[in-house]
Amino acid sequence: MKTVKVTINVNNEKIKLQVKPYETLLETLRERLALTGAKEACSLGSCGSCTVLLNGTPVRSCLILTPEVDGASITTIEGLKEDGKLHPLQEAFMEKGAVQCGFCTSGMIMTAKGLLNRNKKPSRAEIIKSISSNICRCTGYKKIVEAVEEASKKMA
Amino acid sequence: MILPKFEYKKARTIEEALEIYSQYNGEAFYLAGGTDLVPLLKHRLFNPKVVIDIKGIEELKTITKKGGNLLVGPNATLYELKGTPEIQEKLPCLFQSLDATSCETLQMRGTIGGNIMQNTRCLQYNKSLEWRTARGFCYKMGGKTCNVVLNAKACYSNYCGDNAPSLMTVDAKARIVGPTGEKTIKVEKLFSGDGKEPFTVKPGEILKGIIIPLKETKGAYEKLTVRGSIDYPLVGVAVTIKDGSAKVGVTGIGPCPRVYELKEVNEKEINNIADKAYEDAKPVLNAVLTPAYRKKMVGVLIKRVFKRIEKGGSR
Repeated sequence: MKTVKVTINVNNEKIKLQVKPYETLLETLRERLALTGAKEACSLGSCGSCTVLLNGTPVRSCLILTPEVDGASITTIEGLKEDGKLHPLQEAFMEKGAVQCGFCTSGMIMTAKGLLNRNKKPSRAEIIKSISSNICRCTGYKKIVEAVEEASKKMA
Repeated sequence: MILPKFEYKKARTIEEALEIYSQYNGEAFYLAGGTDLVPLLKHRLFNPKVVIDIKGIEELKTITKKGGNLLVGPNATLYELKGTPEIQEKLPCLFQSLDATSCETLQMRGTIGGNIMQNTRCLQYNKSLEWRTARGFCYKMGGKTCNVVLNAKACYSNYCGDNAPSLMTVDAKARIVGPTGEKTIKVEKLFSGDGKEPFTVKPGEILKGIIIPLKETKGAYEKLTVRGSIDYPLVGVAVTIKDGSAKVGVTGIGPCPRVYELKEVNEKEINNIADKAYEDAKPVLNAVLTPAYRKKMVGVLIKRVFKRIEKGGSR
């Protein structure tokens, strides 16, 4: 089967690839680019652990074909840190202990980043609504919500 | 989970999409948001030779106001549509059903066209190929039985779209374009009532637009789910009141959404419709809650939605 040529901007780096037409963005990120921060859990779009930013908007990378995003820019959890310093969201998740097993964390942070991109000062209700796109089976969400609140205060 | 092998083609115009569809003799799927299609493909429920990406078609994306109508391109995302001021101000029922659909992240990718045209679901159908092979294929997979109801003569899968019933209550229409031309039909005419082939749309046809009349309405949407988000409706009830009469749409039970009309809005009429919808609802054991509970909740939700509208309608 013919491969498809794509050019994507991943974490501010322009990358040219030849991908299978039926390859998902998650597979490309994890298997071709070794960016294993986005996790595969349900693989059906239900859980959100594979969330990355597509042109600044959170998306489920397991539901997107890589050929679809030709020319787009992708941000993964690995691309959040700036000048070797962690992003305030990552800091806040550590400070508040919003992590238990850690499998949902990268997806949670990317969803929260998407929220903060479009709303600098989200209310608690807005944070809860946004975070409800992702499933966490350990924390009970309370500390995750607190961490996002903390990060939005720090970034303000 | 790995996708089956297919080719990928990007269409720039509707004509090009139809052309590719016929080149592959219909062994093709149109791809917009992909939030419904990709899981179906991963489960090997369909094995197309080609997937035609129609996201690049400009005319399918726009939301415009024309005359007294809102013309919505089917590739507008649910999130975009939810943010449209006309919908927020005049069509509270549609706004609430958009808001209740799945979760924010999926609303940003999923399109209104895809949401309306989503395939029917069943606990015994939306499973992996291995699971379904072990169980034996049902009507919807091309087999000769139903795996839920013994000796059933038809497919009992559920239509789980949140927004089609609210579009029905606001008298929305759908424009369909295909190899044989263009037509405009009421949204309710999109549904065949057959779980195996839930839509009247013929192979290759594309939903080109949705025409929503912009009139001042009151309304609300209520859905029964197990979780607070990322859930299909186990029962969904949409109600729109306009000029003293009302329309009630019921989704989540059976292969198509149903719509009922109330000439007047009073307690007697509401109770009558709630009883009628309860009688019409024939849930079977193919969703995560028991049929008896879901059936009962049809009437309960209808009464609850009317009460909520009376109190101002907010969620």
